[in-house]
Amino acid sequence: MKTRKHKSDLIILFSTMGLMALGLIVIYAIGPMRANVLNSTYGTDYDANYFFLGQLRSVGLSLIAFFAAFKWIPYKYIRKISKPLMIIAIALSVLLWILSLAGSSLAKCELGECRWFNFGAVSFQPAELLKLALVIYLADFLARKKEEGTIGDWREFWLPLLIVCGVSLFLVVIAQGDLGTGVALISIIFGTLLISGVPTKQYLIMLALVVAVAVGAVATSSHRMERVDAWLATLSGSESSDSTYHVENAMLAIGVGGLFGVGVGNSVQATGYLPESINDSVFAIMGETFGFVGLFLVIAVFGFILVRMLKVAEGTPDLHDRLLVIGVFSWMLAQVVVNIMAMTSLVPVTGITLPLLSYGGTSMIFIAFGVGLVLQLSCYTSREVIVNNEDISSRRGVGGTHHSGRHRHS
Amino acid sequence: MPRNNYSNTKSSNSEGKLSHRRINILKNIVLVALAIILVRLFFIQIIEHSAWVAKADKQHTLLETITAKRGQIYMMDKNEPVAVVLNQTTYQVVIDPAVTDKESVKNVLTTHAKDYITADFDAVYSQEGLRYYVVARNIPRSIAEKIAAEEVPAVWLQKTNQRVYPEGEMASGLLGFVNADGLGQYGVEGSLDHLLSGEDGLLKTTADINKVALSIGNDNVKIPAEDGKDIVLSVDRGLERGVEEIAVNHLENSGATNAAVLIMDPNNGEVLTMANLPNYNPGDYGNVKDASAYSNYVTEIPYEPASICKNFAFSAAINEGVMSPDTTYYNQGYEIVDGWKIENAEKRSSLNGIISMRTALYWSLNSGSIYALKLLGGDSTSINQQGREKLYDYYYNKFRLGQATGIELLEAEGYIPDPNEGWGRDSTYANMTFGQNLSITMLQTATAFSAVVNGGTYRTPSIIKGTMENGELVPQIRTDTIEDKILSDETSAMMRDMLVNNRNYKVANGIDRLGYAIGGKSGTAQVIKDGSYDNTMSELVGSYIGFIGPEGELPKYVIMVKMWGEGQDIDSGEAMKLFDSLSNYLIDYLKIKPKG
Repeated sequence: MKTRKHKSDLIILFSTMGLMALGLIVIYAIGPMRANVLNSTYGTDYDANYFFLGQLRSVGLSLIAFFAAFKWIPYKYIRKISKPLMIIAIALSVLLWILSLAGSSLAKCELGECRWFNFGAVSFQPAELLKLALVIYLADFLARKKEEGTIGDWREFWLPLLIVCGVSLFLVVIAQGDLGTGVALISIIFGTLLISGVPTKQYLIMLALVVAVAVGAVATSSHRMERVDAWLATLSGSESSDSTYHVENAMLAIGVGGLFGVGVGNSVQATGYLPESINDSVFAIMGETFGFVGLFLVIAVFGFILVRMLKVAEGTPDLHDRLLVIGVFSWMLAQVVVNIMAMTSLVPVTGITLPLLSYGGTSMIFIAFGVGLVLQLSCYTSREVIVNNEDISSRRGVGGTHHSGRHRHS
Repeated sequence: MPRNNYSNTKSSNSEGKLSHRRINILKNIVLVALAIILVRLFFIQIIEHSAWVAKADKQHTLLETITAKRGQIYMMDKNEPVAVVLNQTTYQVVIDPAVTDKESVKNVLTTHAKDYITADFDAVYSQEGLRYYVVARNIPRSIAEKIAAEEVPAVWLQKTNQRVYPEGEMASGLLGFVNADGLGQYGVEGSLDHLLSGEDGLLKTTADINKVALSIGNDNVKIPAEDGKDIVLSVDRGLERGVEEIAVNHLENSGATNAAVLIMDPNNGEVLTMANLPNYNPGDYGNVKDASAYSNYVTEIPYEPASICKNFAFSAAINEGVMSPDTTYYNQGYEIVDGWKIENAEKRSSLNGIISMRTALYWSLNSGSIYALKLLGGDSTSINQQGREKLYDYYYNKFRLGQATGIELLEAEGYIPDPNEGWGRDSTYANMTFGQNLSITMLQTATAFSAVVNGGTYRTPSIIKGTMENGELVPQIRTDTIEDKILSDETSAMMRDMLVNNRNYKVANGIDRLGYAIGGKSGTAQVIKDGSYDNTMSELVGSYIGFIGPEGELPKYVIMVKMWGEGQDIDSGEAMKLFDSLSNYLIDYLKIKPKG
């Protein structure tokens, strides 16, 4: 049975557009400063508009991806390509890993971490594709297992899940050293697992297991421990050091902003003091520029998008489709919360972009695709379900009646 | 209109509730996380705002001193000012020790500017919170360019001025030097540092991380530097050089190690030569073994000029009308005062008996100057309070001995004993008539002597002619100078007459030329060792003072010479020989025309 198509969620639509526009304004203001700092520090020759034009190009590509997912690619089709997409995503990450081990110039490395394919003027970060692919794959996998009634089963469910997720996490966190994307992947995994109907007990065990592994991984790695120490140092306000420099300057930028900010084009922190000012630290620059009021609005916009995504999920009758929405939701939630909390020293710095605002093409294109997908699905929700909470389960009948709660008895 | 068929099985219903509950969990996670973030932001942006602003100001504000150019020092060359102390632009290296790439900073500097490094890198880097430190100085431009080409972050070059001395060691005791911190030390550099150094300016601006000033920010300040004054000394460069060369030659043949020469114009107090020998190299002042070499003996070191002071005692008595050059007294070769036997240095028996004051001055008899003191007291047989007070009045109040003269240099005051205090006042004052038991500087002595011979007017000496402004000499105008008629014209004339008489034999010997009035007086002082005079006379300081001018005119120049050496008995004869040479050199150099 098909749900009748209706209007998409306008709040998500306009919020997304608004954030992209805001990102453009901020990069327009601080891009020249960034170019100047790079030119005078590394002797590069970036044009003052280089970063703005780059962001403009990213926004353009992101809008194409956004509307492709929103309007042009039917969501049913997405499910069909879930496996090949996942295989391609993993293959690309493996390829990047091999290339970086071989020292190929096709692998672009920064500070010892190889996260990008380098195609001259264009670069591509496979981890971003991996996030999207995992969302699509997990939606299919979990919905399928649900239909098969094998959710919670060790061999049928947990084992393949652990392999896919383990491989993905290994490639991102270990091979690419990208803890930020790792956090996003974990968020996607546990977000979708939660909604897939995994028994609470198993869910909590797995969560505890991941937390244990994470703590172990941090405790056994000196450079990760350093980050945690730096984080604790900034929290307690003790001595500054090289490792606390980033967070301190992020907080300094935010603090200087005060209630209304210093205004567009007046950021001093963007003139080289704050590392990653145009990408990972753009939130701090926005804090300096727009103040508490501005950040409040930005956070409110993200809040609206996230809560509306949950509404879409609630109203989406099919489990697979709902999981898609939850996957995108979890992805965005992780990026927003971890990025902002790192900038305000609530968590250690992991190196994660702020969706739709940070400079960086790949990240924006894929998250835009994800949001577009949610918007497409928002056209097929049922209002009654949202209004009438008891009826949410009734929508489950649409996809197929052969489901059962078998796993609960196991 | 219903959109769907619902199949309400029990299990799917409960499962739907589960899904709904779990979505609610996610919603709560969103709300809680965002709420925590907002509270945190409120804390940082509103509560801690001013603290962050203060921190930001510290980080963003570039405070740069705009160094004022130090003034140059000129001397006169006849009538033209010429620079004798110049500036050369050099560079100093400043580093930000907090920037991490410490090794490359160290490497670049040790590679290019090893000899100029003034700091210990390890010590600098171990200081917490240090963001600015000068690590190398006086780097020439060529080397500075090499360092700049390395483009090491957090290494900056700042222009500084280094002093250059085209005349080499000449007049080093007068000029002084500039130390590594840019402060003038000793001599003109030290005394007139406030004029030479100018006022540094200040640049306060918001800057980017590479210390490039930004147009952002409202409290940017730029106070331009006010350059130091270019000072023109009244000292004549050629004369100074010639005098120093002659004095160095004399030192070699005399056994003395040191000499100081002062030449001034008695009619206006201008100093034309101020030599302190041996000189040192002001560009390499650190290699001087004994810091006393930095001293300007003419103004800074009081001593006992000995019999030269007889001029002052005689002038006082003549000016008071109680004595003339022809006044006579009975010379017995010694005087007993306060139970002390004060002997004449010149003991030939032909002088015993009744002699004139002119003769007493010629032979520099202590008994003669003591007689002048007695006459000042109105009692030719003994020294009394009135005599002491009168002598004090002349010495201290009129000749201003024991007082700073007010020249534009650092100077010592010296000491004149009080006429009514202390034990053995009469013997102290008897000694003072021939220049002992007091301590005065050469400059005080020569300035007082100028008053004696110039017609009786005391004038504040000066060594600054003016300042150079836009290539033009702008004369100095001083309002704090003294011009005090302390002696009558007649007194001065009588003194000149006696002083010329002192040197009449020099004319006969062909040393002094005909047609000039050259007068002079010697002084040999015992050196006080461990608080008392060394009666073995093993160490003496020889002095000579005199004037020179065309016969029948007021003197044009006063020359004072002092020679000494540690453990050397340099009597005034050596100083007089130097005076003889200098007076003749002066006539030639300044083309003083004889009486027509």
